Amino acid sequence: MHELTLVEGIISYILDIVHEKGGHVVSFKVVIGEFAQFDKNLIKDLLLELVKGTELENSKVMVEIEKAVVTCLCCNSKWGMDELLKPLNNDQREMIHFLPELLNSFSRCPNCGKSCFEIEKGRSVRVAEVKLNV
Amino acid sequence: MYKSYTSLDFREGMIKKRLERIKKIILITSGKGGVGKSTVAATMAALTAKEGMSVGLLDTDVHGPSSAFIFGIRSLPKEDRHGLLPPISNGVKVMSLDLFATGKPIPVSGKGARQIIKELLALTEWGNLDFLIVDTPPGTGDVLLTLINVLGKKAFSIVVTLPTSLSISVVRRTIELLLTSQIPIFGVLENMSYRADVGKSHSQSRGELLALEFGVKFLGELPIDYKASEAIDARDMPSLLKTDFAKTLLTLLEKSKLFNYNKTQKLNDGPIQ
Repeated sequence: MHELTLVEGIISYILDIVHEKGGHVVSFKVVIGEFAQFDKNLIKDLLLELVKGTELENSKVMVEIEKAVVTCLCCNSKWGMDELLKPLNNDQREMIHFLPELLNSFSRCPNCGKSCFEIEKGRSVRVAEVKLNV
Repeated sequence: MYKSYTSLDFREGMIKKRLERIKKIILITSGKGGVGKSTVAATMAALTAKEGMSVGLLDTDVHGPSSAFIFGIRSLPKEDRHGLLPPISNGVKVMSLDLFATGKPIPVSGKGARQIIKELLALTEWGNLDFLIVDTPPGTGDVLLTLINVLGKKAFSIVVTLPTSLSISVVRRTIELLLTSQIPIFGVLENMSYRADVGKSHSQSRGELLALEFGVKFLGELPIDYKASEAIDARDMPSLLKTDFAKTLLTLLEKSKLFNYNKTQKLNDGPIQ
């Protein structure tokens, strides 16, 4: 259901942009950060369903997954999501799905053992591009 | 002609829509740690709910959240199609990072703290509220700046200080930041001014002088009340509301006309001037 809330937010936001800037939306691209742990096809289906009957109905919808890159600020090592989430239980993974920064609460750097991560890429869902024909 | 817009933060649109359903936002600020902001914020939220108003409490102290503890909440926020539903305790909808971190340390950078605050504001489904009380962290760093940027148009602040030169010197900076950021200050509260069991022994407080210095309202003094500490230790909000601390806070809020003012306000009115 978290997915639905975000997808509604995305569509509403793009509609606000088109109302403000004028013209019509040719395409828009949504990037799903790996930490959000969303299914790409589900997000695309929700977007296609919810644009029906709106000014975005004929826009090209693109959805991409962005692999996570996490830097340990203590030892400068870089990690992917799987390496950091592997030791965690399902409840902890669920918390990180909502708030990826909680990685610092639950995970440890495999290199130095500390928890001072910064998420460089793949944090959550974002609108990477909206292309307007004005 | 084609135009591309990139790196758009759609959460700002979500936050804007959620704020449209909130009448007033009160930032409980200080800049100084340990002045009792969280106790004031939680007690104020529960007192306001007891007055019959719909109230939310957002704990933005990312590194040391305490609202869930004070209210004795152990349940996770539930989720529905509109977002995350804050647990309700003593009539207050409470959202705090501690509900997710479950007692673990939260060592996030400033960038991470900004993301957390925006995410909580975008995802939390408060519904219609008369008041959203925001407990802010010590300092004038990323969290407070994010709150000023995101909530600024609707927010006003109650500033909490202690009656010490050290506290006043820190709080003064926060007041300056708030005023230059065009966040109206509803008033200054002086906490831990006197012992509840002894009573007041001074005429003019340092908090009052500070308020005078900036031409803002002085709301009054709150006592050091060991019974309030015991109630918090016991996670017992009903007992906290019976203490001299809470009764004094209620008297000061009523005297300030905070409740009356907002009862007559319509949605989307500007902040209190």
